[in-house]
Amino acid sequence: MHISDGVLPISVTVGGYVASAAIVAWSARRTRSEELPKLAVMTAAFFVASLVQVPFGPTSVHLIIPGLTGALLGPSAFLSIGLGLLLQSLLFQFGGLTALGANALMMGLPALVCGWFFQRYKGRTQLRQAIIGGLAGAVGTALAAIILAILLVAGGEDFFGVAKIALLAHVPVIIIEGVVSAFTIGFLARVKPALLRPSFLRPTKAAHG
Amino acid sequence: MADVINIQMPLWQLPLFILIPVAVLAAGVVWLRRIAHNRSSPGEDRDWSVPPLTDAAGVSLFHRWDVRCKIVTILVYSFVIASLSHLASALAAIGISLLILVITRASFAKVVLRLLAITGFVSMFLVVMPFSAPIHNGDTVLVFNGMNWLGFNLRGLRLAATIAAKAVAIALLMEPLLSTAPLPVTLHGLSRLGAPEMVGQMVLLSYRYLHVFRHEARRMSFGMQVRGFRKRMDLETLRAVGNFIGMLFVRSFERTERVFDAMQARGYRGRFPEPVELCLRTKDLLLAAAWLAAGAALIAYDRIAW
Repeated sequence: MHISDGVLPISVTVGGYVASAAIVAWSARRTRSEELPKLAVMTAAFFVASLVQVPFGPTSVHLIIPGLTGALLGPSAFLSIGLGLLLQSLLFQFGGLTALGANALMMGLPALVCGWFFQRYKGRTQLRQAIIGGLAGAVGTALAAIILAILLVAGGEDFFGVAKIALLAHVPVIIIEGVVSAFTIGFLARVKPALLRPSFLRPTKAAHG
Repeated sequence: MADVINIQMPLWQLPLFILIPVAVLAAGVVWLRRIAHNRSSPGEDRDWSVPPLTDAAGVSLFHRWDVRCKIVTILVYSFVIASLSHLASALAAIGISLLILVITRASFAKVVLRLLAITGFVSMFLVVMPFSAPIHNGDTVLVFNGMNWLGFNLRGLRLAATIAAKAVAIALLMEPLLSTAPLPVTLHGLSRLGAPEMVGQMVLLSYRYLHVFRHEARRMSFGMQVRGFRKRMDLETLRAVGNFIGMLFVRSFERTERVFDAMQARGYRGRFPEPVELCLRTKDLLLAAAWLAAGAALIAYDRIAW
């Protein structure tokens, strides 16, 4: 769920822009400059993955995948998510132009946390990687929902009810997202484990521990 | 201030006040979706939001406007709109946006699809806020059949309507911002404004491969359907979706490597050639000043008139 224009107070939108610009700069520094074009192409893949619809009861939900992005891209994930959200907002109007900074924080911070979590605890066996990946996927969505609620509540007392509903609406997504992430990570662990190594975008650097 | 005004209503009027507006809204969405569907040609599925990459034949004032001025003006103006706090001024902002749409002759179907994209989030506010907004002194609350816990707060409705109006007013401006110049030119303007050149390049690359990967994803899902896969609500579906996404990542990553090799083979050294020469004229600045003055007038009206 992306925040649209006109919802957040102006101080929060500007603050979101400033904070996410700082993290984007940090994220870009952590990515080698030759790898940036590759990151851009990978962002397109994440973008397409986030359009996948999963049936849920009479309706369907679409995946948010901050957890998967973080697990695969590590510190570069924030840059990738910022770019993806810019495209979504400009081309498809999912998330407003003025709320872009806040949306980047909402999706990007969970990705960074999940990336760290996944790399820290993924272990060696495929089963364990799948389980940790699933946890990362669920936690990523849960964190995104919590940040969304906090941002909404910043608008004042009138927004409490909406924030609660938004949190509730995320519960099924958290579960679905966790299961799908577990299967995706399990698949990658079998098919292309190189993608799950920390910072796969820089294979020429010194080997990691 | 006055006390809370409670208006008692019999229960049968509850549907009248809530279900009918919701039904009207839903009917409107369906109608707009049909219009958008009919207007876009059948071959190009959802490619509507894409500003044509090479369409320099501009006709309106906006097409000739310097791209840097356009970006800065629309961005600043969007923040001005986002900071409005009254329904009347937000509605006035929609009026200005509509006027601009007429001037730029933006594609109606594309604008409608943008509006459809925000309906989900915005209608959540419209439905939830009247019931959830806390009741202050001076509020008017509709109470049905003495059910005090289900008060329909008109102040909440007004707040939600203001939010919706602001969201619509800004969403309407996106089409004039993007479709009046080819995307590379817009991004070039952005980098001339001080954004790192890499940002523009990355947007352009993601944007191009977005369509490639989407095409690929569609082919993969056709393949799954041919082999008998149907989406249901069970674990097996989630497993298939998980593998689908994993396969998408594997294929995309391999393509990423090939794309980068090909770019380097063609002499990529971290720059794309400049698409156009930009030159700033006085009338560009005049247009920007006029528009921003309108924004300032709007916010003055918003703050002073109440």
